Amino acid sequence: MAVWLLIMLALPLAAAGVGAAIGDRPVSGWLSAVAATGSFACALVAVFAYHAVRGRHALGSAFFVDGLSGVFLIAVAFVYGVVAIYSVGYLLPGIGHVRLRRWYWPLLNLFGLALLATPVMANLGVLWVAVELTTVVSALLVTAEGSDESLEAGWKYIVIGSAGLAVGLLGIVVIYAAGVPTLGDHYTPTYTILAHAAPHLNAMLVRAGFAFVLVGFGTKVGLVPMHAWLPDAHSEGPSPISAMLSGALLAAALYAVLRLGAVTQLAVGPSYVHVLLLVFGGLSLLLAAFFTLRQANYKRLLAYSSIEHMGIVSLGIGIGGPIAAYGAFFHVIVHAAGKTLAFFGAGDLLSRYETRDADGVRGVIRAAPFTGVMVLLGALAITGIPPFGIFRSELLIVTGGFSHSKYALAGLLVVFANVAFVGVYQLFHRMVISPGGATSGDRTRIGRREQPLMAAAMLISLAVVLVLGLWIPSPLNRLLHAAASVIGGRV
Amino acid sequence: MLAAPHYDFAHATAALLAILALLSGLSLLLVKQVHEQVRVYAVLSAFAAGYTLLVGIDRVDAALIVLGVWTALIKVIVIPVAIDRAVTRQVSEHEVPLVVQVPMSLLIGVTLAGLAYWSAAALPIHGALLPTPALGMPLSLVLIGFFFMITRQNVISQIVGLLTLENGVFLATVAIAPGLPFAIGFLLLLDLLPAVVFYGVFARLIAARAKTTSIEDMTVLRG
Repeated sequence: MAVWLLIMLALPLAAAGVGAAIGDRPVSGWLSAVAATGSFACALVAVFAYHAVRGRHALGSAFFVDGLSGVFLIAVAFVYGVVAIYSVGYLLPGIGHVRLRRWYWPLLNLFGLALLATPVMANLGVLWVAVELTTVVSALLVTAEGSDESLEAGWKYIVIGSAGLAVGLLGIVVIYAAGVPTLGDHYTPTYTILAHAAPHLNAMLVRAGFAFVLVGFGTKVGLVPMHAWLPDAHSEGPSPISAMLSGALLAAALYAVLRLGAVTQLAVGPSYVHVLLLVFGGLSLLLAAFFTLRQANYKRLLAYSSIEHMGIVSLGIGIGGPIAAYGAFFHVIVHAAGKTLAFFGAGDLLSRYETRDADGVRGVIRAAPFTGVMVLLGALAITGIPPFGIFRSELLIVTGGFSHSKYALAGLLVVFANVAFVGVYQLFHRMVISPGGATSGDRTRIGRREQPLMAAAMLISLAVVLVLGLWIPSPLNRLLHAAASVIGGRV
Repeated sequence: MLAAPHYDFAHATAALLAILALLSGLSLLLVKQVHEQVRVYAVLSAFAAGYTLLVGIDRVDAALIVLGVWTALIKVIVIPVAIDRAVTRQVSEHEVPLVVQVPMSLLIGVTLAGLAYWSAAALPIHGALLPTPALGMPLSLVLIGFFFMITRQNVISQIVGLLTLENGVFLATVAIAPGLPFAIGFLLLLDLLPAVVFYGVFARLIAARAKTTSIEDMTVLRG
């Protein structure tokens, strides 16, 4: 397994190095696409071919893969792969507005490297370093369009994100200190060591540490009220980067919360972790759902949808029990696929209409039928309409809520997921279906032919979110059960 | 009768360094000039490096001693000089507009420090050489860093606020987890360098575009 994980990390590193050396040439893009898809393949092999779901260390104790990390690794690697494919088309002349082209590919690959490293690092300190690296790299990618707005968004992101991560590190340090009386002054803070010693950790310190972790890494997850950076960064960054932020970065930060949540749960019992996740998840769901109703910027709307979905995952874990936890982890994967589709569609729209304002976009289905269909399907997928995977995951979380007699929480999810549906669908319906010509942009640009790689990336994301709504392959099923057992209890 | 706690030279020096670090954190709130803020950060970092060295010597821990030297090199010299050269000389204005004026800032800063000490007192933890509550001073710096960032509308000031906050976390690490493997401490410190480089790139972009390091006009994105 170590070899596959090393190759998985070496590919983006090599692609970043070559990209930095040769600059803005088409081969950089192709190389990145090959590296990213190769990394995804390696992640699949590492997770599924070595019974990693049971929890395995590799390369000494450098890597650790279990069900929890497996779920997040698959989600992150998938998003990195399709984003790299989409970006090759998006960066062609006349399509996407990316001014920092010289650094796009090296930064994208470094971003991919940091995201892939996050779920597999056994040492919690190194995990923090990986998440911090995602911030510094992705903040520059957010500004890649070079506008005043993107600069403002990037600055807010790096300042708020870095401050949050500093608090997250404080949480790790406090949890480390909780283990000192039992494990001694010098020990390696890995999940397995801390989990083994959990019953002997100082409960008060673990509670305080997890509160810091949740607030700190929760800032990167975009949980309310630490979400201020997220709508700006997601809406002003280039669309493939928005997809990466939404589908992969939020998930990677959430992984850090849940990994330390699993330690906390073993030390102080599940209710403390569950209550905190319910509070932050519920607030995120509630606020984001209402904010989707008042958005005129369609990329900003998708950003609020991301906050909503992170709220749903947190709520799913917070409800407790294996069914809701299974649903929450399944949600991480289908949200990654659904949100990449939605942001890819939004990127295609933006490249045609050259506006983020929904009022400037009308009649897409006639002007660009393929894009119109993809955008609409993306909107339906992320709002949890059957038969898409998000419907299935939300249904599982609601079922878990009912089976644990948490009717109010299940009801909360149903009501606010529907509020978000109204907010998202009405805006995208207006842009795609409503008659009337475009109010901005020129006809030739709007009606241009589909870019094959962008279309392929959209179709791949669509296929994943659709197929997973109908059928969950048994290896994935086992992985999800294993993930649920780490933090939700055994089936 | 309870025996009086034993304080030796190392404990007394550590307590003194902690007080000086806290005072330099508070004195950040008094300073309006960007250059001065960077210098105060360097002084604060010097106390952080001194405390790390002291703990390293007291515990005869070579890793902590090396970390202390590295901290001094990077945070006292490299980062302040880099920030100063990269950005502050590029812009004409050097006085930072304050959202909260100095007297009120100081009052809030002292209140935050009190809150930090009160919260830290609830945690059953002993710090290396520090008087209890060991997390009081580091948490104070974290809160002061946050407050400084929020109330100073200037990119350099926000970087200084972030780095102050980071110094608080660093001091917490040395105080309550001095045995955290050297590799981790070293990685965290190394991680700070690219972060500062990226902050610098951002600050230059903002300064180049607007000819100012003020962020008062960054209000386009709302809702």
